[in-house]
Amino acid sequence: MSESSLEFAERVVALCARLGATESSAAVNRSSHIQIIRRDGQVEQATEATTQSLSITVLVDDCYSSASTSDLRPEAVEGFVAKSIDAARYLEPDEARRHPDAALCGRGVTQEALEQDDPCWASRSATDRNQQAEALEASLSAITDERQISSSVYIADGRSEVSQVLSNGFAGVNQGAWFALGGERTIQDGERRPEAGAHFGARYLADLPNPETLAQTVAERVEERVGAGPIDSGKYPLVLSARAAGRILGILGGPLSGASLHQRRSCLADQEGEAIGSSVFTLIDDPTIPRGLGSRPWDGDALIAKPLTLVDQGVLQNYYIGVYHSRKLDRAPTTGGRSNWVIPPGDTPWEEAASAWPRAIRVTGFLGGNSNAASGDFSFGVLGQLLEHGKPTQSLCEMNISGNVRTLFHKLVGVGDDPWTWSPVRSPTLLFEDVQFSGL
Amino acid sequence: MQSDTPIILDWFSQFGVSQESIRQALAAATQHGADDAELYFEHSSHTSVGLSDRAVNRAHTGIDLGVGIRVVVGDQVGYAYTEDLDPRSMEAAARTAASVAQSSQPRAPVQVTLGRTANHYPVSRYWSDVDLAARVPLIQQWEERAFAADPRVTRVQCSFADTDKRVLIARADGLIVGDYRPMTRGFVTCTVEDGGVTETGADSLAARADLDFYNPDRQHRMVDSAVSRALRSLDAGSPPAGEMTVVLAAGSSGILLHEAIGHGMEADFNRKNISIYADKVNHRIANPHVTVVDDATLPGARGSLNVDDEGSPTERTVLVEGGVLKSFLHDRISARHYGLESTGSGRRESFRHPILPRMRSTYMESGPHDPQEIIASVKHGLYCETFSNGQVQIGAGDFAFYVRHGYLIEDGKLTQPVKDVNLIGNGPKVLETIDMVGNDMKVDEGGWTCGKEGQGVPVSQGMPTVRVGHLSVGGGRA
Repeated sequence: MSESSLEFAERVVALCARLGATESSAAVNRSSHIQIIRRDGQVEQATEATTQSLSITVLVDDCYSSASTSDLRPEAVEGFVAKSIDAARYLEPDEARRHPDAALCGRGVTQEALEQDDPCWASRSATDRNQQAEALEASLSAITDERQISSSVYIADGRSEVSQVLSNGFAGVNQGAWFALGGERTIQDGERRPEAGAHFGARYLADLPNPETLAQTVAERVEERVGAGPIDSGKYPLVLSARAAGRILGILGGPLSGASLHQRRSCLADQEGEAIGSSVFTLIDDPTIPRGLGSRPWDGDALIAKPLTLVDQGVLQNYYIGVYHSRKLDRAPTTGGRSNWVIPPGDTPWEEAASAWPRAIRVTGFLGGNSNAASGDFSFGVLGQLLEHGKPTQSLCEMNISGNVRTLFHKLVGVGDDPWTWSPVRSPTLLFEDVQFSGL
Repeated sequence: MQSDTPIILDWFSQFGVSQESIRQALAAATQHGADDAELYFEHSSHTSVGLSDRAVNRAHTGIDLGVGIRVVVGDQVGYAYTEDLDPRSMEAAARTAASVAQSSQPRAPVQVTLGRTANHYPVSRYWSDVDLAARVPLIQQWEERAFAADPRVTRVQCSFADTDKRVLIARADGLIVGDYRPMTRGFVTCTVEDGGVTETGADSLAARADLDFYNPDRQHRMVDSAVSRALRSLDAGSPPAGEMTVVLAAGSSGILLHEAIGHGMEADFNRKNISIYADKVNHRIANPHVTVVDDATLPGARGSLNVDDEGSPTERTVLVEGGVLKSFLHDRISARHYGLESTGSGRRESFRHPILPRMRSTYMESGPHDPQEIIASVKHGLYCETFSNGQVQIGAGDFAFYVRHGYLIEDGKLTQPVKDVNLIGNGPKVLETIDMVGNDMKVDEGGWTCGKEGQGVPVSQGMPTVRVGHLSVGGGRA
């Protein structure tokens, strides 16, 4: 009988100890994935692979190093571990790297309750996948568009198994499948050839939208690009579509991280208990959502996964504090990294709320841009529509949105009833007042 | 040090790879016929060390080993990869990749030839021959210099990374070619505080080179630049929002070319007819001062390659000459599609990724104008000096890039520092408005990585000082 991933990880941790590590961890990842892309009536690309890797961390008298390899030949593994341990000996000690107390580690939610591992994945055949891709393409083709230059669809799925062992006694195996599909269409629009697409991901195949929904969504998004151009610079209400909200919410990630706090480059440092947004702004990190794309039983430090309220009714409640930075900052750990981000939906359709504004800009996509965690400044290129009393009247491009994370969320005046569930960021449409746009 | 194919072939023999196992895998890949096929073997050995909290306190070592197998039929691609170089695993992956082919006739085997390559990145020793201990003093000196530069520097983080990568490409046409590809990257970021205001600044160095690349001048420039960027940000504000004349500084502003032109020249988008430049070959697309090159042959540049990832020799490709579009960037699929030779632009992030036409080192050649004359010509505009990232919509031609640091231009002079602003425009429209091109072209030595379809590859970019008639500036002020 061949060695399981967990047994392999346990053997590597034992090897680390034998070669001189005072603490160590090992993670063995085995995964498979398949993707089929169809373009203009034929398979454009078919990709399939089964892959494996080993990652370790070692402490040698509090000196830390990490290593990863895809060369899992038995004769290579011992040399790989020895090299990592040797690397640690050149470094200065850092006690903060020690493992957490074993009592903090473990599985927060059972594998069954998390519903990460769709049994359907194992029974999928090449024929099933080809038929699914052909059905997507047929649906998109059924919505004819004389302006079309090219269109493509894809399906992808995979499954991974991660076995993780820490020398503090923690050992666990996490398994999960995933499925994705999407489509794109490029059209001729004067001199321009705008493209638009839609992409969906899910833990269970049955949760993905059907081919007709994908095709309709692609067609709608293409229409949003037709005749696009910029309008005058100025301050407008912002209707941030649920699908696109992750990009703007993401500007909170840097300032809320323990690393930014520790390096004194967080514009939200020392704001715990303070209002960083309006009362309608609540943001929760929840790794326990069944079938959530960001769900997990434990985090990167093997800490038990549990929901973490980041912002409650505008008031900052928690930061992302992993074990390492908890020691650097002398505070209790929360969790080191994001899982699912949830903004609880409201009970009013965004169209109804937006209809009160004579003019507003609905942002449906982004182009470039970045943010500065230290100052909070952000600036992004946007794609979208001008809304007049909630109705789209012009497609927009070549425009930017700018502001500061410390003030933006105070301008949040409403949340829609349409949470996006096909990504780890589960936000409804968000409505802001008085946001700076640049165009003409 | 050589990148001769026999040496690389010998390197992979330690993992069980032989000409016979290659022949068997290629036979499996082409069992149902194929217009093209190749095996791409890769072995990468990576080391990095990091400094924070005034201590060199972390290191990472990594090994990546595997083979990617591609089968091409017309424009269709079958792709599979495995980390296990055992002949049975390779053959299984090859059969999977062959699934796009339907012919009952296998491709006929051919005589093997071992290819030779140029060497655009000679080194005197491999990174694996450099002790970890030799890297540590470098980043300690960077930290020391940053703290000594100004009392407002409160935090410094440094990292140093290097890679020995060896690739071996075996094609169905019988060519086997190997390449040794060094890479190194140094990075410094500083936090400064003054009067309750906190800002950061960063700079990096990167090259296909060995340890000798890090001469004192280069190291000093990187550290001093990181500190000065952070300090300048303390006083920087947001520019006004809206369209304005923009002057791009020489060097890393090549990001404009990369986004506004470069991606649109990648021939996969053009053979699919979805690039805004698809029907523009031999058409004027820019001012006559504008000549744009994508060059894989710059000595030691991060974007350089001796041979591309499908075994084609690399070159200096002129994309735009005197304002006229001359060539796309071709891999073997698009070259066959257009009936042309590959420009040696087929690249991939690793053996886990299929090949795409990609940029290497993209730059605009110098023009006739004095850089000071360009700045002095602007009544009211924005001078952009350092950049972080960009993006493009291939078909619409809209592109954006993010300016970390710059200045307002008022009455022909640089005045108020500005920071953190996104610029957006339309590629063809912007190219028409580049009306002054400086005589100071510089290829940036920073650690740029280009992303496309989920793959990141190292690139370089360069630019002389140029004046762009108008771009939309994502300023924070109305």
